[in-house]
Amino acid sequence: MKRLPFFTWLAIALLVGTFVYSAVRLLQSRTRTIVAPGTEVIRFAHWQLEPGVREALDAIAQDYMALHPNVKVEQMPIPGRAWVQWLRTQLVGGTAPDLIELASYNNPDDMLARYFTPITSYLEEINPYNADEPDLRDLPWRRTYAAELVPAPDGFGHYYNANLLEFYGVPSTLVTVRVFYNRDLIRAATGEDRPPQTFEEFVALCEALQQYALKTGEPLMPLGGSVFNITKITDTLFNTVTQKLALELDYSRDLEFSRHETMLSYARSRWSLRTPAVRKSLETIEAFARYLPPGWVQLGREDGMLQFLQGRAAMLATGTWDAGGILMQADFPVGAFQVPPFPRDHPQFGEWTLGPVSEAATFAAMPFGLTRNSKHPARAIDFMRFLTSRKSNAKFAEISKWLPVIKGVPVPEGTEAFKPLADGYVTGVNIRVLGGRANDILMQNFHLLSGSGASADNYISRTSTLYDRAVLEEINRIIRVTHETVRQRDSVLAGLYHVEPPAPRSKFDRLAASQLDSEIQRLQALRVLEDYPLK
Amino acid sequence: MTETSTIHDTTACALTLVNGNGTSLLLVMLRSTLNSLRNRVRVYLLAVLLAVGAAPAKADEGWQLLAGYLFRDAHEAFVANPSTDDRRYALGTAASLINHPPVTPGKITRAETLLRELLATEANDETAHYARYLLARIAHLHRTGPVAEVEAAYRAVIEADAAYPVAQIAAGKLALVLLYQRPELTNTERLDGAALLAPVAGRETLPEAACAYYRALAGAALFYDVLDERVYAWLLRADALGTADVLVASGLRIQLAEIARELGHRDEALAHYRRFLGEILPTDNRYRTATERMQELEAAP
Repeated sequence: MKRLPFFTWLAIALLVGTFVYSAVRLLQSRTRTIVAPGTEVIRFAHWQLEPGVREALDAIAQDYMALHPNVKVEQMPIPGRAWVQWLRTQLVGGTAPDLIELASYNNPDDMLARYFTPITSYLEEINPYNADEPDLRDLPWRRTYAAELVPAPDGFGHYYNANLLEFYGVPSTLVTVRVFYNRDLIRAATGEDRPPQTFEEFVALCEALQQYALKTGEPLMPLGGSVFNITKITDTLFNTVTQKLALELDYSRDLEFSRHETMLSYARSRWSLRTPAVRKSLETIEAFARYLPPGWVQLGREDGMLQFLQGRAAMLATGTWDAGGILMQADFPVGAFQVPPFPRDHPQFGEWTLGPVSEAATFAAMPFGLTRNSKHPARAIDFMRFLTSRKSNAKFAEISKWLPVIKGVPVPEGTEAFKPLADGYVTGVNIRVLGGRANDILMQNFHLLSGSGASADNYISRTSTLYDRAVLEEINRIIRVTHETVRQRDSVLAGLYHVEPPAPRSKFDRLAASQLDSEIQRLQALRVLEDYPLK
Repeated sequence: MTETSTIHDTTACALTLVNGNGTSLLLVMLRSTLNSLRNRVRVYLLAVLLAVGAAPAKADEGWQLLAGYLFRDAHEAFVANPSTDDRRYALGTAASLINHPPVTPGKITRAETLLRELLATEANDETAHYARYLLARIAHLHRTGPVAEVEAAYRAVIEADAAYPVAQIAAGKLALVLLYQRPELTNTERLDGAALLAPVAGRETLPEAACAYYRALAGAALFYDVLDERVYAWLLRADALGTADVLVASGLRIQLAEIARELGHRDEALAHYRRFLGEILPTDNRYRTATERMQELEAAP
């Protein structure tokens, strides 16, 4: 009999080995679900796969289980790409875990109403896990948060639903946007380790890094990243250079140039790309664009991160949700700073500038919602209380390097620069918010604003009609969306009217008021389209 | 006999659980009926009786589901458990139909028909008022009828009984029609027409809705670039009514400050600024900007 060759045996051995390994893993995962009688199992799911977050949540879960030996807490990290399908399948199939991370774009009103439990009343109770904290122990759970969980405008705070008028989520963190920098490279290029304080210093730093790369022959870029990262810089610049214009255009006189007002005032020709402040904001791009990495428009977020971690890019603008990953994986010291805005007395960009944009409206993030099919809702609420107690929130921040949200929890060492800037000014006019396509228009024509042939006039003449169309589309979208929202509320109000008497400040009263506000948005948009037809 | 008893026992128990009011009467009827009637037909009749007894609870479930944005479920609850009150049942069915996914013109027409039939019974009670209001909403939003028809529909709700809460809501909607959907009117006519509705739309029966109405008047004036004492007065009235919406309340305070400043009411403006800053939410971006504007005003001669 012919003997089998060595590589065939190897292949068979590998196959058998793989099978055995898989079988063992499968058995392990199955046996994990077998728990002792009387044990309460609490499962919580989220998509935060950034390094540090799972570890932090796991450490808190271990603490909770040590405190409650009859409880088993299981973490279910689900990749973001599979999240939406996974979420729907679990909810519809009745197999959803007890707690699920919420985001308004993933959890529409009907999903919240059907599958999640409102937690408004729980938030008004005391959090017993703060019993040892004299300043917190008598406060309702909601008020133990640094910003007291103020209901956020639609689409901002994912813990509150303005249509259902209920809180649904318990958040654990805050995220801001910062420029992360390689301290070794900055020191090598400039001789000092100091983040830039002004936009001029920022540009000078970029230039010094470029000269350093030329001198040393190292493949080094001052700025790393993709469209995602670069727009973090452009947003800051656009939003500061146009602040005074925003106050002039703010026809509702509430010092807030809302998205709605931005759209409608554009359609009413109250401003355009040719408005001096807006034109000036476009010119800011030329000031830093020459330091962007080649081909950045085609790069993804992961590419930008890789450039930075490999030391090929000295700076990277991104959200602080990446901080844990950066701090854990970078083999060099990392610093962070806010994109420096222009001062009021800036000779070129100061005319319509007030100063740095306030970040006070940074709403608490990563909220967990309680599913209706939870077998142990009281236990799940108890775990969320533990998770957001001062001690646990401090532990979460320390391990994840994400910002804390509970009063008195210190910002972890090394992440002080992530704290939201509360002492800033209102935001200006940003052409990126002119509809869903506005960002694409900017990116596709970015080259007209950068390099030796940079020309704001050229950009304006080439893109004005594109923006007109984008605004028209956006206004029509707003009309459709508000129509849907307002229409649905007719049925909801009828339900509320018959469930509880329409008393003053009742849900019926509050929702009727909110419906009127939404209806105004729709009718103003329709009025503008009729009176100022955009082509 | 055994089978009959089992059915009887189970259903009687369910009845006791579901229906609190009138349970004992129904149970007495059930037991006496069962003692004398032992065939399946009679038992079926009992089941119908039980269903009638349980219906109010189930119909209420329909309203609960509607309140929770679960329109399809609500519709199924109404259809599966017709209420003893046909008119209330028709109202619930119509209210669920107008948002029953997918929303179609056929469903809207059916809802309208149900509501008109409901009104044809000549009653002028709460159900009729709500039906009238829903008809106006259907004309305004769900099938977009001519503006004259919409206006007439809202006025019919108000004229039927202005004291009813839905009349107040209807007056607010009518104000919006006048403010934004009558292009032939001048800005002054729009604002005057809408302001005339204040006795109904601005009633304190529903203070949140009243506050929204006064803000709507001021908002429309500002939208049309009208800034006068009336705008300030409307906002003051809205502020006096107050709102539980902390974001709206905060916005109102700074609007008062800014408008008082523009109208030359320096001291009032300063007071409004101070109040806005004193009660500002931790998540409000406007602190520093408002502070500087207040300081500019303080420094002005």
